[in-house]
Amino acid sequence: MSENLYEALWPRGPRQVKVKPLAKRLDTLEGKTIAWVWDYVFRGNEVFEQLEESLHARYPGVKFLHWDLFGNTHGSDERAVVANLPDRLREFGADAVVSGMGC
Amino acid sequence: MLRASVAAESAGIPSATLVCESFATLAKAASQGLGYPNIPVAPVRGHPGLQSKEELQQNVRELTLDGVICCLTETPAMATVGGEPGPRDVVCRGSFEDVNEYFLKHELSDGLPVVPPTIAKIEAFLRHTKRKPDEVLGVLLPDSRAATVWSVAVNGVMAGCRPEYMPVLVAAVEAMVDHRYGVEHSGNTPGGENLMILNGPVIKQLGFNYTQGVMRDGFQANTTVGRFWRLCLRNLAGFLPHKNDKATFGNTWRVVIAENEDVVANIGWTPHAADFGVAAGQSALTIARYTGGNHISSVSGSTPEELLPYIADAVTRQYSWQIMFTVGQGYDTLRPLILLSPILAETIAKGGWSKARFKQALFERARMPAREFERMLRDWTQKPTWNLAEEHQAGRIPQVFHESDDPDRMVPLVWRPEDFHVVVTGDLGRNSCYVFAHNGVLGFPVCREIQA
Repeated sequence: MSENLYEALWPRGPRQVKVKPLAKRLDTLEGKTIAWVWDYVFRGNEVFEQLEESLHARYPGVKFLHWDLFGNTHGSDERAVVANLPDRLREFGADAVVSGMGC
Repeated sequence: MLRASVAAESAGIPSATLVCESFATLAKAASQGLGYPNIPVAPVRGHPGLQSKEELQQNVRELTLDGVICCLTETPAMATVGGEPGPRDVVCRGSFEDVNEYFLKHELSDGLPVVPPTIAKIEAFLRHTKRKPDEVLGVLLPDSRAATVWSVAVNGVMAGCRPEYMPVLVAAVEAMVDHRYGVEHSGNTPGGENLMILNGPVIKQLGFNYTQGVMRDGFQANTTVGRFWRLCLRNLAGFLPHKNDKATFGNTWRVVIAENEDVVANIGWTPHAADFGVAAGQSALTIARYTGGNHISSVSGSTPEELLPYIADAVTRQYSWQIMFTVGQGYDTLRPLILLSPILAETIAKGGWSKARFKQALFERARMPAREFERMLRDWTQKPTWNLAEEHQAGRIPQVFHESDDPDRMVPLVWRPEDFHVVVTGDLGRNSCYVFAHNGVLGFPVCREIQA
């Protein structure tokens, strides 16, 4: 008895995204402004506090932007918060972003 | 978190994403779909939820700190995303077993045998829709893949669907791409699973089970369309376990359920889809994600007043951390689902209650003390402070959550009565209900009409 042969097609949808370049990294954190951006879970506020203390010890001139300036990045307003993030970061003069918590 | 970092990078601002060590693989997979395969992440040791304050501080100092500095000051090596076959490319020629081995090896299958998607079978599905094969229904995260009518047919074939199910499959993916649903959250740690609910003539036309054992496999339409959903999450969205799918435990895909519209009509209620504005006689499909559920057996009483306490108690007991989707992480996005067996719904209706009246009664009865509500928000969601009085005074939640300052006042699970979803289905002769725990903003209910 002959066995059926099949020609099976690729089942995945085509990727729609192109690889993009990262932003230029900073030469130092001294004198720079770092924005905390948070999804409001997993003690990110405590992690940010410890990072602030430790970073300040290494870079006395570093400044920080509190997470409540930007809103919850993982709640019901996520899309709006993330969409507005570039403008908000520019508005507050952020040089870098630390986003948590992926847990 | 990565999406926020990508927003910053796209604006020319360097980012560091804080990622628990066990989430590194997920972050790597997700970064490709976002177009930044080399976006750097800073490690977080263990899980903060299980560490003392001192342990957490020490771990941040010893590990995360240097990671953050590295992310922001050192340029990562370039990275690329590998090429893939095209939608009409034959990727395997061989026997049934050969095809299935290939699909398993390349993570294209859920582990059960798939029907080989051949041109002939795919075209048979396409004959059951007026949509063009290359029409893009939407782009799905996390992989940022296009969900086309063609790819719907391919995955319908694989799932074992019949070609005539195609209109249902298209509607399912149209619902999946609706941003209100939030498909991008389908790989999150609670591992909730989608449930599809059918309404309209399509139920009988295609032979969906809407009576006894409605949530059981064994009925081709219900079973294969349910499996189709999970294959789409895998092949169209990109959710692969141990990669983009980080479910702690997970759930198996759910078979589709259908409402018993004969009973609904007989008792003068409206179908579930009507609650979303769908006209009578129009077939429709509703989706939402649920983290779990519970069968509530032998709900007894001869009047709705007698039945209500047991049902309301069961509803309340399904909800603990999920109330963060009422106040907190996802304001006003909790939509509890209750399945009523037909004789239960008939008894409620016989007492003169409409579905709206039943929902109102649930809203008034399915409550918990404010102090418990706040304790769960504070202690179980790890948000610094949640206080219902402050939330109300800030205008973020309705007054029903703060009628007084009494900590023992009873507050509802949801904002309004219509937030409860009620579906009549299941065994015609048994007096039970089933309560689903909804996943809030991480799988918000969406309804789509099914077009022939």
